[in-house]
Amino acid sequence: MKILRLAMAVAMVSVLGFAFQQAAKAEPFKLNGDPKPAWLYFDVKSDGGWTQAIHESKLKIDEHFGWDIPYVEKIPEVVSSIMPAAERYIKRGHNIILGSAYGHSDAFKELADKYPDVAFVIPGGHTNSGNLQGIYGRSYEPHYLCGMAAGALTKTNKIGFVAANPFGVVNWTVNGYLIGARKTNPDVTLHVVYTGAWNDPVKERAAAQALVEQGVDVIGQHVDTPTPQIVAQENGIYGTGHHRDMREFAPKATQCSHLWVWDRYLIPKIEEMVSGTWNPGAQPYGDFIHIHDGGNDIACCGDAVPADVVNQINSEKAALAGGKHVFEGPLYDQEGTLRVKEGEVPSDGDLWGMDWLLQGVVGTTKTL
Amino acid sequence: MDFLTHWLAFTPVFAMPLIAAALGLIVNERAGLLNLGAEGIMLCGALVGVVAFLEFGGNPTLGFIFAVLAGAFLGFCFGFFVVVLRTNQVLTGITFVFLGIGLTGLIGVPWVNKAFSAIDPIYIPWLTDIPIIGRFFFGQDLVIYVTIILAILVWRFLYHTRMGLRLRAVGENPQAADAGGINVEGYRLLAATIGGAFIGLAGGYLSLVVAKIFVEEMTQGRGWIAVALVIFSRWSPWRAVAGGLLFGGIEALIPRLKAAGFQLPQYFLEMTPYAVTLAVLIYAAMRLRAGQEAPKALGTPYVREDRK
Repeated sequence: MKILRLAMAVAMVSVLGFAFQQAAKAEPFKLNGDPKPAWLYFDVKSDGGWTQAIHESKLKIDEHFGWDIPYVEKIPEVVSSIMPAAERYIKRGHNIILGSAYGHSDAFKELADKYPDVAFVIPGGHTNSGNLQGIYGRSYEPHYLCGMAAGALTKTNKIGFVAANPFGVVNWTVNGYLIGARKTNPDVTLHVVYTGAWNDPVKERAAAQALVEQGVDVIGQHVDTPTPQIVAQENGIYGTGHHRDMREFAPKATQCSHLWVWDRYLIPKIEEMVSGTWNPGAQPYGDFIHIHDGGNDIACCGDAVPADVVNQINSEKAALAGGKHVFEGPLYDQEGTLRVKEGEVPSDGDLWGMDWLLQGVVGTTKTL
Repeated sequence: MDFLTHWLAFTPVFAMPLIAAALGLIVNERAGLLNLGAEGIMLCGALVGVVAFLEFGGNPTLGFIFAVLAGAFLGFCFGFFVVVLRTNQVLTGITFVFLGIGLTGLIGVPWVNKAFSAIDPIYIPWLTDIPIIGRFFFGQDLVIYVTIILAILVWRFLYHTRMGLRLRAVGENPQAADAGGINVEGYRLLAATIGGAFIGLAGGYLSLVVAKIFVEEMTQGRGWIAVALVIFSRWSPWRAVAGGLLFGGIEALIPRLKAAGFQLPQYFLEMTPYAVTLAVLIYAAMRLRAGQEAPKALGTPYVREDRK
């Protein structure tokens, strides 16, 4: 999984290059017959993070349409596992196949070419074609909003962040978090520890504990287990979560969480497939969606966040929906280099390849 | 100063699972059993410890006892396969790794991501407050002190009891041991069971104390580090304790350096424990002294009256 997600970061960048070369084949897709989805889960539905959020989205889609979408758990990112599972569903007459991992992308592309009448959608995926859509959320937007809560909560002006690996998708949450925190508290510094693992509670606890010793009094996270929130609660400080509402694990500590809400994106898309207006080919490198498109959102806020800050967060959320970009220049990195010029915003390619941290972040993305 | 105090205080916590698992593996390997299944047995210990703790009213002692029993049971199974059924030790060990991963993933679901606090470090007035070394020596949890006692017992057992002598004889030259009237199969089964119990304890500690949570595949290679630690320690309980502290020290140090803002490259830091292992292995191989070699019959099954 570690390697696969490393590949994700590297491939994302290269894929974007190819993607622009492929002219958009703008031919809308229409489902033959009634929609009959099936879902391939990357992990178990109770993993507490990514896959559980997928499953919770499935339940909401079920409720909306009155369905009971069949799913299969633990389909790893290997073609030999994906193909038989997907093809079995297709043979049973399912015409919408959903994936749930970056590594499902290539196998889904193959399937999409083989079965042009079936619609394929992959949260976390990057491939697409006339009947295949990869989607990922701009997760820096919710982290920006939760960062605002963190900035308001800190008294020591030191915030901690437990991150997984220094990839673009993680670095942008770290940077977005600091921009948010500085919005409510300009004196904040953000101490980030990359654990080098997505799902290692031992390393996450060590990292969170080390941050507490540094005097941070809010801990944000972009790792899979709720351990950093639990450490925050043990130490009587605050935290903000990732993937799901982590108040479930640390009700006193967790004040804000980044959430995956795929149902809000997928329900209208399924309706488009039925009406024949779904056009995934129009976005050659997959759909890179904003907070107001669904995909991700925040659970905000806990009791400790003052009401005026909650209002501020909500109005910023509305501003993001209105087209505001989190990474609006001028932005300087840790060395003081101007990374985003005044009045400009980074391109999506720059975001995927983000390998720098903002001035005010203590920590490093250096890997070797 | 604070940095040093905190770092030292947390070093034994990270060291303990490695030390306990390495002690178990030393007992195994001294009897000639190469158990590569430590990773899987550790995972089972981690899950069983959490299940027992959460289901039996939050009693950490019960959690540890069940983790140890689970480890002992799996160790006995391993011993049964390789000693009685004479399956290949390497393959059986690796099978146990995947068995542990699969089994805990399958049955562990209801206990994943449940936060709890099992045991706290002890506090002794005055002693714990000694600057720098106070918490290192006098501010750990009871299990760590028990592990130190266990290390002493393993050493006493292996080198100062008749049983230990016989056990080592079985690992060095089972033919001779058998000719001397030692029950080779019995000793190997005993070693496998004791070894498994230690590995189970390591797993229980990892989930109950180090992480205070259970998640799938949470050992993340620590069982393999314990296997390496045994070679590192040249099959000596004392060097296993020292090596475990070194590895634990590195694991406790890395996040603290990062949090303090040292601009150190991530993957280089993560590599250090393994680089240190390699360096020590090379050093040990170059300066091999008597009594530091691997047990002679390590990994080889014993079949009575088999032609050598």
